[in-house]
Amino acid sequence: MNQQNILKGPAGLGLLVLSAIVLVASFGYAFMSLSSQGHASFNTSSTLPWGQPIATYLYFALASSGLGMIASLPLVFGFKQFYPVVKRAIFLAFVILISGMAVLAMELGHVFRMIWVIPFNLQIQSAMFWMGVFYVADLIFLLWKLQKLENGEWDSKTSKQVGIGSFLAVLLASGNLALIFGMMSMRPFWFDGLLPIYFYLTAVASGLAALVFFTYLANGFSRDNMSASLQGLLDGALPKFFAAVLGGTLLFIAVRAITGLYTNNPEIYVVWRDYLFASSTYQASLWIGIVLPFVLMMMASVRTSTGTQVLVSILVFAGLFAERFFFVVGGQVVPLFKGTWEWSLIQYTPSATEWSLTLMGSALLFTLYVLGERMLNLSAEPPVTVGQASTSGGVAAHA
Amino acid sequence: MNVFQTLMSRRRFLKTSAAAGATGAAVAGAGGLTGFAPARQAHAQASRGQTVVTKNICAQCPARCGIDVYTTNGRVHAIYGDTGNPIANGKLCPKGHLGTYFLYDADRFKGPMKRTNPRKGRNEDPGFVPISWDEALDTVAARLNDLRDRGESHRFAHFYGRGWGASDAGLYGDWGKLYGTPNSAIGHASMCAEGSKRAKQMTDGNDSYNSYDYRNTNYILNFGASFLEAFRPYNYLMQVWGHMRSKSPKTRVTTIDVRMNPTMAASDRALYIKPGTDGAMALAIAHVLLTEGLWDREFVGDFREPDMRFRTGQRIPPFSFDEKWVHGLTEWWNEELKDRTPEWAESVTTISARDIVRVAREFGTTRPAMAIMERGPTAHTNGTYNGMAIHALNALVGCLFAEGGMFYQMGTPYGGLPVNADDYLDEWAKDGDWKKHPRIDKARTPEWPMTSHMMQEAGPNHLKGDPYKLDTAMFFYTNPIWTAPNPQVWEEALKDVFVIDTSPFPGETAMYADIVLPDHTYLERLQDSPTYPFEGWPMAAIRVPAVDPIYDTKHFGDTLIEIGKRIKGPMGEYYKAIDNVENVLRHRAKGFEANPGDNGVNSFETWKEKGVWFKKPYHWRQFRGEFFEWDGRGYNTPMTPEDVKAKLIKTPSGKFEFKSGRLEQNAAYIEREVGIPAARAGLIQWVEPKHSGEGDLYFVTPKTPLHAEGRSGNIPHAIANQQPIVGGRNTVYLEIHPDTARARNIRNGDKVRIKSNLGTIEAYCRYMPAHRPDTLVMPMEHGHWAQGRWAQGRLPGHSGELTANVSDPISGLACYYTGKVTVERA
Amino acid sequence: MAKWGMVIDLDKCTGCQACTTACAMENNTLPGESWQDVLYYHEGTYPSAQMKWLPRPCMQCENPSCVHVCPTRATYKDMDAGGIVFVDWDKCIGCKYCMIACPYGVRFYADEKPLLEPDLREIFPSSNGQLWSPPYQNPEQDWKRGIGIQPPGVVSKCTFCYHKVSKAPAGTVDLDEDIAEVKEYVPACVRTCPPKARFFGDLDQPTSQVNQLIGDKHGVRLKDHTGNKPQVYYLGAGAGVPAFEPKPRS
Repeated sequence: MNQQNILKGPAGLGLLVLSAIVLVASFGYAFMSLSSQGHASFNTSSTLPWGQPIATYLYFALASSGLGMIASLPLVFGFKQFYPVVKRAIFLAFVILISGMAVLAMELGHVFRMIWVIPFNLQIQSAMFWMGVFYVADLIFLLWKLQKLENGEWDSKTSKQVGIGSFLAVLLASGNLALIFGMMSMRPFWFDGLLPIYFYLTAVASGLAALVFFTYLANGFSRDNMSASLQGLLDGALPKFFAAVLGGTLLFIAVRAITGLYTNNPEIYVVWRDYLFASSTYQASLWIGIVLPFVLMMMASVRTSTGTQVLVSILVFAGLFAERFFFVVGGQVVPLFKGTWEWSLIQYTPSATEWSLTLMGSALLFTLYVLGERMLNLSAEPPVTVGQASTSGGVAAHA
Repeated sequence: MNVFQTLMSRRRFLKTSAAAGATGAAVAGAGGLTGFAPARQAHAQASRGQTVVTKNICAQCPARCGIDVYTTNGRVHAIYGDTGNPIANGKLCPKGHLGTYFLYDADRFKGPMKRTNPRKGRNEDPGFVPISWDEALDTVAARLNDLRDRGESHRFAHFYGRGWGASDAGLYGDWGKLYGTPNSAIGHASMCAEGSKRAKQMTDGNDSYNSYDYRNTNYILNFGASFLEAFRPYNYLMQVWGHMRSKSPKTRVTTIDVRMNPTMAASDRALYIKPGTDGAMALAIAHVLLTEGLWDREFVGDFREPDMRFRTGQRIPPFSFDEKWVHGLTEWWNEELKDRTPEWAESVTTISARDIVRVAREFGTTRPAMAIMERGPTAHTNGTYNGMAIHALNALVGCLFAEGGMFYQMGTPYGGLPVNADDYLDEWAKDGDWKKHPRIDKARTPEWPMTSHMMQEAGPNHLKGDPYKLDTAMFFYTNPIWTAPNPQVWEEALKDVFVIDTSPFPGETAMYADIVLPDHTYLERLQDSPTYPFEGWPMAAIRVPAVDPIYDTKHFGDTLIEIGKRIKGPMGEYYKAIDNVENVLRHRAKGFEANPGDNGVNSFETWKEKGVWFKKPYHWRQFRGEFFEWDGRGYNTPMTPEDVKAKLIKTPSGKFEFKSGRLEQNAAYIEREVGIPAARAGLIQWVEPKHSGEGDLYFVTPKTPLHAEGRSGNIPHAIANQQPIVGGRNTVYLEIHPDTARARNIRNGDKVRIKSNLGTIEAYCRYMPAHRPDTLVMPMEHGHWAQGRWAQGRLPGHSGELTANVSDPISGLACYYTGKVTVERA
Repeated sequence: MAKWGMVIDLDKCTGCQACTTACAMENNTLPGESWQDVLYYHEGTYPSAQMKWLPRPCMQCENPSCVHVCPTRATYKDMDAGGIVFVDWDKCIGCKYCMIACPYGVRFYADEKPLLEPDLREIFPSSNGQLWSPPYQNPEQDWKRGIGIQPPGVVSKCTFCYHKVSKAPAGTVDLDEDIAEVKEYVPACVRTCPPKARFFGDLDQPTSQVNQLIGDKHGVRLKDHTGNKPQVYYLGAGAGVPAFEPKPRS
């Protein structure tokens, strides 16, 4: 059995139906509570305006960017061993970004107004404006690239140019996303010129987690279903790359934590001491969600096993989601200038509606992804690398 | 259980929708009422309609600030201070602006109602059903006529809290005389601040709060007067604070209080005193003023021999000191003051002797200087003596009736009523048996000889049937089932009394009402209000309705007159002649014709237009130990000692009495009740406070700036800004010193139980290291069980439920701040 | 055009919150939506503790970081309106980035959980696109400047009571409530301030009362290190904001 995409079969249909149901249910719940209570159904407030929906959006947007960057490895930088995952990566980047944007849309006060006021007012001073521009560009390039691959153009000149354009769009989009936070000098926990680098690293980490997980999912969590080249990637470059990226992420977290804890500025050290490190959830996400996966990926003996890789991808999934949440909320928990009215760190726990948005985003991602697996050949690889197991660019699993 | 909800659903809406239109409808339709959809209203116009400004008086505290009420298209939408009102001067305190909310309060009573459930209690639904005003008034009148026919008219009592003027509480006296009851009316003074009035009566003969010339003073020694929170008139006090603190020379302020508060924080020196010991501090300051020769010789007098001194612990010979405007200084020194050293006071008050000496020197060397006080020092069993000791300082530095000092309020030259009640007395009124009965509260009886009102005793007395049982009681602007100390007793007591409540709003007493005759809110009323003691010169403001009543309510004065019209005999005739509140006010305003105000007010119409009549200046002035009267151009007419005694210092001696003649007249009572030997009873002296409650911590329940009398527990914006000192937004926290809390294993933010021998209440606490470790502070606001949708169920519990019904035997002031409690984690 | 500025004298301020409630009623804000707030701080321990307070309107910054971040130009500094920073409720998309970027915490998204239950918005529900409709609503409204009661999903803030200020006669230098002719044009918080701790006027006029006070009493701007350059100045002791410190739990 080779190249068996289980998502094209009944399992895929089941997953599709399941995610569609979850999607409809979570969207329905969020929509109902938003239309009856407005944003009072969130636990965010004027003192802590950005909560879990923003963290979810950030998580999805960066995972998308990470996938875009991974896709650039073969398409722009010639790391051909990544060809077996590139199409899936691009498609995933596209649907994850769509899912993130859907969550953001539900978070905003007036999403439809956004569609015309941003272009009509051209506020180029605002990083938020550029976020719109770059992520739209990113989205277009992703589609374009996908269309090229769909047409089997793996190596053409335009394909290369589109790849480069896409890579730049990804860098700009995620780097600018980092600067939305990093340029806020009034929020010292975020204020950091190197934040884009941290975002790139964590983006790739979350992208890898998504890619590994969904690749295994498509192949029924069985190496036997995979192409040899894909197996080669999973046995060789990918886990090492994953280890390196997780190591970089850890390094960045460590450096931020050390400088944060060292400073006298309470708007930074209090966040690290009393919010992040005081939270068992944060501790768990750090140690189990990032450190443990790093250790596992560093161990040559276990990093290539299917179980390890799936486990690590899931752990990193969760770990980085928590990392995003604590990053977004952490920048706001120290009350700005409230005296006794806010006598301690601002308390924030997401509401059911906010969780439903996170769930909705995830369900949308799964739904779109399964649709993609079923309607496109996301396991497609360029003919050159396919070698013995030939396949066209079209549909078809090969028995 | 949910009395309030039921109450809401039984409201009438007819009048609502007709008179109030969309507004009333939207208000009434809120809160989950069934079968009543909120009316749609037009989007607010881009261009506003005609805006009308009417004059009114804020009703949220006793200050009586003149307000401008802004109404556009029939909606009141803003309140600002009236620039032409001498108290408001265009300004308002934080409460004033929230007045519009009172008008549109969704919880208001919307018309007269009667009770259908005969059982009364906290958990009993009164089963109110709407009735017509005619039915309501006829019911009450029939009951009163019947009572009178049975010869039991004394068993009817009026109770009132915030009386405003001639058009409401001013009608009580004639009512009692005509109807025949000693209980018209039982005022709330003994649950307010009677202690300072009595301290002044016993020393300078004026049973009154003071007027003050803050503008010209250079030193304020403030004993627990909550100057920047709740002292009257708060709004003006803040205005003058701005002036005092930026004028040349800047007025220095020393504040002595039992807790950190805005006044303490803003003062030059904040001294924390052990509750109930202010008298000791004042005596020690007096001791220093005398031993260091800092007293005002022109007012007080001086030794006959130039080398004489007051020396600590040593007596001075009789007749060695020539007293000028004071009486009893020699005996005071010899029998009390000579041993009241700062060191002694330190042991009593916990304020260091060093600080006491510093304060005394500053106070004695800065002129003009004044010592002010209010309920803080006087709401204790030794309250009158505390207050007298403080007021004695004013005599020692000669600020009485002086520029930058303090004096008393002149009355308003109102015109007479169209008819005289004395011409309408029938036989019963003139000579009925009712005259043999004391008041239900026994004020001014041998039990409380020096009091004026003892409302807190009325409930317990009724319960005991001593002196008799009440039959019917009518309440105006007072809610003793909640506000009286130990109100649990009142909850029992009023069960078998026919209760008539007149508040526009639901409240605990209203839940016991057999009939509700709701008043207008203040923005809908035509009502006068002579000033509380302010700057001495006479003033009377008036409320002009900003809008027609938006519900089926009636001015309390008109309710009273309408009931009067229905009483058989000449009383009914009298009230027919009085006719209505507007008629009363038109006649009162006639007094201005001969006395046009400084702002030109000389008639009812001009009064309504300007909102206030006032006529400066104050007529008397003490200048370097001599008294002068205003002659129209200046303080030019010298006053004889007889003039001074008649007009200003109304004591038996005609002088400021360090040895009070009035107290000496009650020496036997004082010996019995206070334990002071009769021979010493008149002396201003230190008396140990007796603390109730059986706990180990003092329990202070102050008013905050947002405490609107009786109502801010149900005003959203007031609740949200209630307690900034520790961030009490949604609740009022118990403020506790961290050491005190930790010793009891109480964490910051914990829910705690506060206990006295009377009961237990719950609260959330917050650490407040700026308070005394032996004192718990919990602003009095919440714990209502029937005041409205926001007030209900909001922690903390009601402090009154821990407060024993203990009163100062002399003033009768309920000792709200003298209870001690314990606290533990809940 | 004038450059409107406010001066707050902390030596006179009594921390009473009249500014807060005057603003709340003038602008019909919800409990907790304190466009104008007074912040309290206490430090030290009995018997030498201190308590201080700081009234805090929007600073109407010369260099407003909220304006820089707004992706839609919904929040803007209107130089033709004395430099007041407004929110155009027809353009605001409710992204709340300006709330993140404001160093002073003076922006509000009232479409949130109510501070107090029951919710005023349910007591006075709206049927006209506003978040709520109290019967005592100020008839003034101008959504292009964030005046009135906001629709759901937008950010609201202090407008220096532009609906009043804008009606002042041209050339007015001092908007002082004690000058009868301009009383009605003075911002609510300034007009009502009982100790007269607040002053309002034209910062571009060297002769204005506000400039005189800033000069004489060494006016300072809060958090000046942010570079936002507020048009609100503080006088007197107590303008320093204590560093944040979480209160001990036990």
